[in-house]
Amino acid sequence: MRKMLAAVSRVLSGASQKPRHGFAMLPSLVSISRLKQSSQLGLPKCWDYSYSLKTRQASRVLVASRNFANDATFEIKKCDLHRLEEGPPVTTVLTREDGLKYYRMMQTVRRMELKADQLYKQKIIRGFCHLCDGQEACCVGLEAGINPTDHLITAYRAHGFTFTRGLSVREILAELTGRKGGCAKGKGGSMHMYAKNFYGGNGIVGAQVPLGAGIALACKYNGKDEVCLTLYGDGAANQGQIFEAYNMAALWKLPCIFICENNRYGMGTSVERAAASTDYYKRGDFIPGLRVDGMDILCVREATKFAAAYCRSGKGPILMELQTYRYHGHSMSDPGVSYRTREEIQEVRSKSDPIMLLKDRMVNSNLASVEELKEIDVEVRKEIEDAAQFATADPEPPLEELGYHIYSSDPPFEVRGANQWIKFKSVS
Amino acid sequence: MAFVAAAAGWLLRLRAAGAEGHWRRFHGVGLARGFLHPSATVEDAAQRRQVAHFTFQPDPEPREYGQTQKMNLFQSITSALDNSLAKDPTAVIFGEDVAFGGVFRCTVGLRDKYGKDRVFNTPLCEQGIVGFGIGIAVTGATAIAEIQFADYIFPAFDQIVNEAAKYRYRSGDLFNCGSLTIRSPWGCVGHGALYHSQSPEAFFAHCPGIKVVIPRSPFQAKGLLLSCIEDKNPCIFFEPKILYRAAAEQVPIEPYNIPLSQAEVIQEGSDVTLVAWGTQVHVIREVASMAKEKLGVSCEVIDLRTIIPWDVDTVCKNADPFSLGLYPTGKMKEETNNLY
Repeated sequence: MRKMLAAVSRVLSGASQKPRHGFAMLPSLVSISRLKQSSQLGLPKCWDYSYSLKTRQASRVLVASRNFANDATFEIKKCDLHRLEEGPPVTTVLTREDGLKYYRMMQTVRRMELKADQLYKQKIIRGFCHLCDGQEACCVGLEAGINPTDHLITAYRAHGFTFTRGLSVREILAELTGRKGGCAKGKGGSMHMYAKNFYGGNGIVGAQVPLGAGIALACKYNGKDEVCLTLYGDGAANQGQIFEAYNMAALWKLPCIFICENNRYGMGTSVERAAASTDYYKRGDFIPGLRVDGMDILCVREATKFAAAYCRSGKGPILMELQTYRYHGHSMSDPGVSYRTREEIQEVRSKSDPIMLLKDRMVNSNLASVEELKEIDVEVRKEIEDAAQFATADPEPPLEELGYHIYSSDPPFEVRGANQWIKFKSVS
Repeated sequence: MAFVAAAAGWLLRLRAAGAEGHWRRFHGVGLARGFLHPSATVEDAAQRRQVAHFTFQPDPEPREYGQTQKMNLFQSITSALDNSLAKDPTAVIFGEDVAFGGVFRCTVGLRDKYGKDRVFNTPLCEQGIVGFGIGIAVTGATAIAEIQFADYIFPAFDQIVNEAAKYRYRSGDLFNCGSLTIRSPWGCVGHGALYHSQSPEAFFAHCPGIKVVIPRSPFQAKGLLLSCIEDKNPCIFFEPKILYRAAAEQVPIEPYNIPLSQAEVIQEGSDVTLVAWGTQVHVIREVASMAKEKLGVSCEVIDLRTIIPWDVDTVCKNADPFSLGLYPTGKMKEETNNLY
């Protein structure tokens, strides 16, 4: 606290600096020094921000006397229901703290995806890269509705979920660039990121859904009141194994929340051309479902809380369709404009952007100021830059590690390489 | 300046490979820019990709099939499919994203030419695609199914092995799905990682009832694909995706057939027999010339072409029977041949 005041007084007495981006430099300097301090402890995980936020809040009261509301009530869209009498509530309370946290998390995911885009174009990231910008409300909203002890599994558009489930941006970017410091030790890449209670990161479309049902069985078996969120896309919704998973989950009343992230296009095929029924929330037939506005984080949060409560009460699985949109193409090889118009993308960006929606809500209800949110933007940008720096500079995994973890075996198992004279040790 | 020169060189090479309108290839899971020309990457050597080295060696221009045109692998596939649809009014092509031309441009122009009833998209369901294809084939129509990447063929494994392969046998020749051909991009490409690089022919190589064919070049591909489509047994045709653009040679415009279950001796030799298929044939060719140069070893290079049922005779003709391990002779050889 004393350090904070000292910093403030230093700035106030120091030479005046040209304000950046049209707003006063002062609050940013205060925050940057705080960020430096916390970066010495290691980059903060996303839920640590509330602590540093509180301290900054207190210091900011000194430099700018502005009272923010503690919380505000918002109306959210009613969800379409299938086989359900009642749905999630239509109003919700957002606290200032939560709002800032969600904003920061969504902004981090957005900037991280854009940085990945940049790195891919510079050929620092190779292979496949599926970006989820535009779908931030889904990953942050889902995380807000469940506990860290719950489980989550998704398909390949997984960077956002990897972050919200607890990994740091530098681990994610280092994994994308295939370096040692990556979360899968540089061997997984974009589609194969894992964290505690986050089962990836799966390349084959639809294959993760029966896995999710299995995890839900384990949750029920262990009796710890946990649920499993099993995500898939609108394209995957037509895979046969999804329906097999529905049947098993409903038959055995597994605490599995099936979530269809409907971003309207399965690679390049629009939902009308791929599905006989585009009401993905009804596809579970005997499984109750709800259709949620996936661009509104509060809607997603309330629906997730509702669905999690439903599962935890032992009623069995439930299906959620999140209506969302991705700005990028299917992957980095897809410009994304051959099967949809630029006008459509622009329209969604201007009318339903999740970050913009949250920002407008918070500013209009006096939960935060525009400057404060801009400050968060600057901090997030810096964090992403640092992470990108690390991801580019970190060394690649050594060649001996190529064969590690193929098998689990003691002593290490020898695996044949491309010919019988190349041998890899499968250390595990 | 070097950047401009390299970029110009790359573009010219692409044009030479017949890549008109190449920007349109970024549909769906297309190929990253310049991925097939590791030497053409425009940034410095530190960032140069380490792609397994091979050079495609085109075969000499075939004279016996009429007029030829320079085609790369995907164009030769398109040509074969075009010939099939023209010749056979019951032929249909289906798979994920085939309508606009396919993620590797193998079906470009076919929907416009033959109509949306004959070239159509399926939803994302491999097991459904193959099962559906078997159904079409059983009624007598010619079904040409595409599995978008060989890595995704596994949901359809049951349909292929348990349904397609055994249909004729279990119905006592009353029914068969011989007019089914499954096409799929195959093999490593440099950046495909786990799920866009697999070569699953070995999984199918022990299943009597189906044929598995892998071409090494555009000329081979067109002839082999036409043979697969006309063959009275269900066939799986794997197309080496790294050769789609990289391999270009003179290919006849008219349809022609290359017989299945016949290996080709590309290079005669007396000391060692090297057998390969698909992309690896070109690597092996280089190895053979390196062996000749550095070790004085004369290598025979054989392109197997059909993985199952494979051409035992050609492979074993010059090979030392004892070095191959089990080598059917006499009565057993006759029995082995009669299995297919």
